[in-house]
Amino acid sequence: MYTRLLLIFSLASGTALAQATASLPEQQESVQSLIDRIQQLEKRISELEDHQRKQDAARAASTGLQTLTEIQGSQGSQEKATLAPGLHSEPAPSSTEVREAEVHYPSLQIRGFGDVDFSATNEKGSVSGFNLGQLVLHLASPLSKKVGYFGELSFTARPTGSDVQVERTIIRYDYNDYFKISFGKYHTPIGYWNTAFHHGAWLQTTISRPEMVKFGGSFIPVHFVGLQAEGSLPSGGLGLGYSVGLGNGRSSILSKAGDSGDSNDNRAWVASVFARPTRFYGLQVGGSVYGDKLSPDPGRNFGEWITAADVVWTKERPEFLSEFANVHHRDLRTSQTFNSQAFYVQLAYRLPWLESKWKPYYRFEYIHRPANEPVWDVSGLSSVTDLASSTLGVRYDITNYAAFKGEYRNNRTGANEPRVNGAFFQTAFTF
Amino acid sequence: MTTHQKFASRALITGCLSLCLLQSLIAQSAGDVDVAVVVHPDTPVSNLTLAEVRKVFLGDRQYWSTDVPVVLLIRAPVARERNVVLKVIYQMSESQFKQYWIAKIFRAETATAPKVVYSNDMANELVTAIPGAIAFIDARDVRPGTKVIRVDGRLPKEQGYPLR
Repeated sequence: MYTRLLLIFSLASGTALAQATASLPEQQESVQSLIDRIQQLEKRISELEDHQRKQDAARAASTGLQTLTEIQGSQGSQEKATLAPGLHSEPAPSSTEVREAEVHYPSLQIRGFGDVDFSATNEKGSVSGFNLGQLVLHLASPLSKKVGYFGELSFTARPTGSDVQVERTIIRYDYNDYFKISFGKYHTPIGYWNTAFHHGAWLQTTISRPEMVKFGGSFIPVHFVGLQAEGSLPSGGLGLGYSVGLGNGRSSILSKAGDSGDSNDNRAWVASVFARPTRFYGLQVGGSVYGDKLSPDPGRNFGEWITAADVVWTKERPEFLSEFANVHHRDLRTSQTFNSQAFYVQLAYRLPWLESKWKPYYRFEYIHRPANEPVWDVSGLSSVTDLASSTLGVRYDITNYAAFKGEYRNNRTGANEPRVNGAFFQTAFTF
Repeated sequence: MTTHQKFASRALITGCLSLCLLQSLIAQSAGDVDVAVVVHPDTPVSNLTLAEVRKVFLGDRQYWSTDVPVVLLIRAPVARERNVVLKVIYQMSESQFKQYWIAKIFRAETATAPKVVYSNDMANELVTAIPGAIAFIDARDVRPGTKVIRVDGRLPKEQGYPLR
């Protein structure tokens, strides 16, 4: 029995081997013809490159180093010598390739972000339906090796038309990695979210920003107009970085920055420090402090002192974001003090199956402000007193540049307020 | 067991073992080629830790010295060198990598993304032509005269070299 089985197996193997051997010459023939073709093409490319080099050398000989100056622009003479075709024993680089790889100044790049949303809640008086979200244009342009410009414009749909805002406009001079100074309008470097995602809904995992950093909200000053110095600190594997800023602070409308001028004669300041330890790639721990004098009403002034801390793990398996902020207000007339707190914790995980396109997430957020907190009441802005909110959702990346998100939210905006449930959908993209 | 049976079973076992050995040899020759980190000859570095290479390629270190900015060169998608860089340095997928650089520019942390090169020849040429340039090249394709830097104190083909 054993012998028969072995014989059958041997015969089957033999047949398969014979078939494979029969097709082998054909495959070898195809492979050989492909190799020949590749060799022919390589030879042709080599001939063309030689021809190009000879032409470049002739041009350089006739016009001196004019061509090289064009290629290198404002870069040093050492670079020009390196590039000189025919002056080196090493093979000269193709000038076309080098020219393409060079940065030209200015070199404007525009990127857009957009989102279309749908919402439906059981809140009294709310209306379900679609809205256009924000259309955002981001501009970046290096102006020289050390100077760059960045801008962000938003177009927000309103009942009366579109509202256009300059969200950021920054010109920055980089001295080196340790010192970069810039002037303009920023997103205030308090906490993590405000400077990580800006107005790009596609960049953030969830549909909306946490309430504490909401655009148009007043818990922290989202924008800052002034100057900012930033860079890394020599700290080895700790990966420390810093930023310090001086600016106008909040305007008399607390949710807005003083774009056209300060609301009082007192400058706001902000300082933040973060660590990205090399040992834990993906981890960032940071802290920030902000100080300002608020003048929401004539004759009423408040000192504002914000302290914040954040811990994030930016990898997607898992992604973990959390930050906390305490806003301290002091009535400068009565010396009465008020403290409000807010935090959120967000957890997401990029699933390894189905081409890693799905990313479920959960976020819990909380805001508490004392009932008699005068600053937001004086400003006339509606502000939540005790927010507790849960968000459960999933993100599906349709392509590398577009995502679809669906969310369920359950929140309560005050201790005696009813809970509100809602379903939200968004398609967010970049272009 | 007869002599024929013994012979046949030995032949089968030997055949299977040879196939396995051949397969592992093919896999090794295709996958274990080191990827060299090369820089412009005037770049003032010759040894970086893997964490420092990561910092450079993440755009967190943007200057070699005050006057020499880092110019990142990275192979176009599908190239093996790019896959090694994404896996070992960035620890990201292709889409995460794209998103990372869009976000980096959007945050105003850098004005330019890495430049794309389409062959090791092109990488060799550009890295010797552009001051401050850094690239990854298959160690077999590194041209004489190109400055190869040590990673964690090791050169390509040395034992324990991390980029392969």
